[in-house]
Order: sequence, then C-alpha cells, then structure tokens
Amino acid sequence: MVCSQCQELLSEYIDGALELGEQVNIERHLSDCEPCRAVRDDLLQIVHFSHQLPVQSPSTSLWPRINAGLVEIQPSFLDRSLRRMRNLRTLNFNFSIPQMIATAAAIAIVVSTGIILSRRDNGTTQLATAGISASPSDANPLSQADLQLLEKQISQLSETVEQRKDSWDPELRNAFERNLLYVNQSLAECRHQLSDHPGDDVSQELMLNAYREKIRLLEGFEKF
Amino acid sequence: MAYITNTLTMPVTGERTQPASDLELARAAAAGDTVAFERLYEQHHRRVFSLCLRMLGNGSQAEDLTQEVFLQVYKKIGSFRGDSAFTTWLHRLTVNQVLMHFRRRGVKLEHTSEEGDFTNVVDTPLQSTRRISMVDKLALEKAISELPPGYRAVFVLHDVEGYEHGEISDLLEVSIGTSKSQLHKARMRLRELLTKQ
Repeated sequence: MVCSQCQELLSEYIDGALELGEQVNIERHLSDCEPCRAVRDDLLQIVHFSHQLPVQSPSTSLWPRINAGLVEIQPSFLDRSLRRMRNLRTLNFNFSIPQMIATAAAIAIVVSTGIILSRRDNGTTQLATAGISASPSDANPLSQADLQLLEKQISQLSETVEQRKDSWDPELRNAFERNLLYVNQSLAECRHQLSDHPGDDVSQELMLNAYREKIRLLEGFEKF
Repeated sequence: MAYITNTLTMPVTGERTQPASDLELARAAAAGDTVAFERLYEQHHRRVFSLCLRMLGNGSQAEDLTQEVFLQVYKKIGSFRGDSAFTTWLHRLTVNQVLMHFRRRGVKLEHTSEEGDFTNVVDTPLQSTRRISMVDKLALEKAISELPPGYRAVFVLHDVEGYEHGEISDLLEVSIGTSKSQLHKARMRLRELLTKQ
C-alpha cells in the first residue's frame, strides 16, 4: 500500500467502516509511515473536536422577528392583553363574535374532555358533558343515524362558509382556520381512539361533542 | 385524546414542579398555546441556529433560516405525533429547510470539481511536519465555514450532528459512496485549513 491509497481510506478507517483486510493493510502501512500517521492523528482530532463543538446563540432580536411572522400566520399570537386593550381603545370588535364562538367551542371540548377523562380515571363510569346538554341517547351516544345527520349538517354549513370565505379578510380567515383545525384535531383524536377501541362510550361521547362544537363554529362563521 | 388532556393538565403558564416535556409542549402548541410554542423555541433555538450556521457558514443567513424553520414548525406542529423525539423531528425539518435554501440558490451539494480537493501529504512533504497541535474550536468553526457547501453539509451532518451515511444519502439525495467521499474530502480540507492557520 502506498501513502495515497492509505490516505484515501483513512476516514473510513477511523470511522471503523473498513473490512478487516483493508484495516490490516492500513495498520501495516501506518506502522511504517510517519506522514500517514500524522494525517490519521489530525483527522482523529478533527473528528473528536467536531463532536464537541458548542451550540451557538443567535442575536436576541430573532425571537421578535419570529413572533412577528407568527402574528401574520396566526393573529392570536399577538399578546392577548395588548389585543384586548387595543380592541377596547378602538372599539374594534369585528372579530370578537366568531373568535368567542370558536374559543368557546375549544374550551367546551377541553373542559368536557377533562371532566370525562378525570371521572373515568377515578373509576366512575358516569359520563359528564360539561356545558353541553346531555344527549337523550347517552347509552349509545353516537349512533350511525346521529353521525350521518351531524355530518350532513356540517357538510351544508361548510359549503356556505367556503363560499363566504373569499370575502373575509386574512385575519378573520386565519382565526377561523386555526379554530377549525383545533376542532378537527379533536375529531381526529376521537376517531383514532375509536378505531383502537370501537366500543369506548367515552370516546363516542367526546366525538359527539366535537361534532357539536364544529357545527357551532361553522354556524358562528357562516354569518360573516 | 392525550393532547386535549395534556392541555388541561399541563399549565404551561403556571407554576409546575417538573418542566413540561417536548411532547407536551408540542401538543399544547398545536392546540394554540402560544406560551408553549415560545418555550419550545427557548429550548431548541440554539441547536437549530447552530446547525443552520454550520451548514451555511454565514450568521445572518443562519438567523434568517432559523426564523423560517420556526415558522415552519408552527405551521406543521400539528403533524408531530410523538412517534420520534421532537428533537429528531425538528432536526429533520431544519436540515430540509437548509437544503431547500441551497436548492433555491442553485448550490450544488455533490462536489465533483477539483475546487475543494485536498492534496496528499506525500505531494507536499512539508505539510506532513506541520501538525495540528490542538484543534482550537474557534479555528475549527472558521475552517468549517470555509469548506465548499457540499463538503460542509456532509461534514456537519456526520461529524457534528452524528447522522449516518445512509441518512445523509437520503437527505442530500446522493449515494452513500458520495457521502463517504465528501466526508473524507471535507476532513482532509479541514486539515489543510487548520494547518495553515
């Protein structure tokens, strides 16, 4: 083996990626060749110190820049207290109704979920629907007929909202889409739970609630 | 229903005895918790910035790209389901953003010309006696920034971030052989740069 051949393989050698035969050849060459040993030792140092490079910090102005970008994507990122003050000062409540509806929907799902799951965790089988009237069919909260009815209603409302969305300004559209995403995520979670546990009455109840909240959200926004 | 209950049981803005996990924060952020998102930023922005900085070799561009990464994280965080560690997901997203940046600028990552080739020590005997006494980390950072982009990308991913050649091959869309070859050339080029300093 000559030096150029040895040096071509040094990286793989120090990474332990060579086959035994090549490894033996290189070690034989290294034992007789000081320049190649020097290269090997340098590469070892480079690899060793590269693993230990410290993390670097960006300037402190980076977060404000990111925050500004986030506000463009999602207006609720704007500090909420400032937002409330601004609304009070300018009496600009253009978005308060749908946002309140959407927020109420999200809160209702979260609260009902929390209560239901906490009760389940405590070993009680009783279902609770905080803030949402109990279904008359609690024993089987999500029958196929109920489901079809809800989906039909959602489909009709969604069509209306889709038609109206074009006339919305970006802030209103973002507020709606963010909250819709939230409700849809809840629905997806419920579906996921139900696919794992088809007979789980708690998940069925949660799913029913999520459907109801989606309807409320769509009803709230179809007027805009 | 984990993410909903986590939103309830993890008072991000309140006091807690144990810090929230990345997964909890990610789920809360996906549910619209802006404080949780800011906390994720606090915990991870240095590593994201460091990766961008080392792959780009330019601080200002690295900040711009870190900004893009976190905006993407915010948009996509709902798709993070916790199948892998959040850091793995974030790293992958960061690397993809860097690669998109390279593509937008027409940077070729597969280095084939002699531009970045090193010379064997047998060709320059003097160099063999000029050893790197101890790699200074600042000097190493500077030398990395001077590598050609293709070498730099492979070197940073492999030697700094710990990716395997198979993963690098997938990410950079090059063969494993190319990844190995680029890495070796990068190391040899670094050695040259460091012995000159």
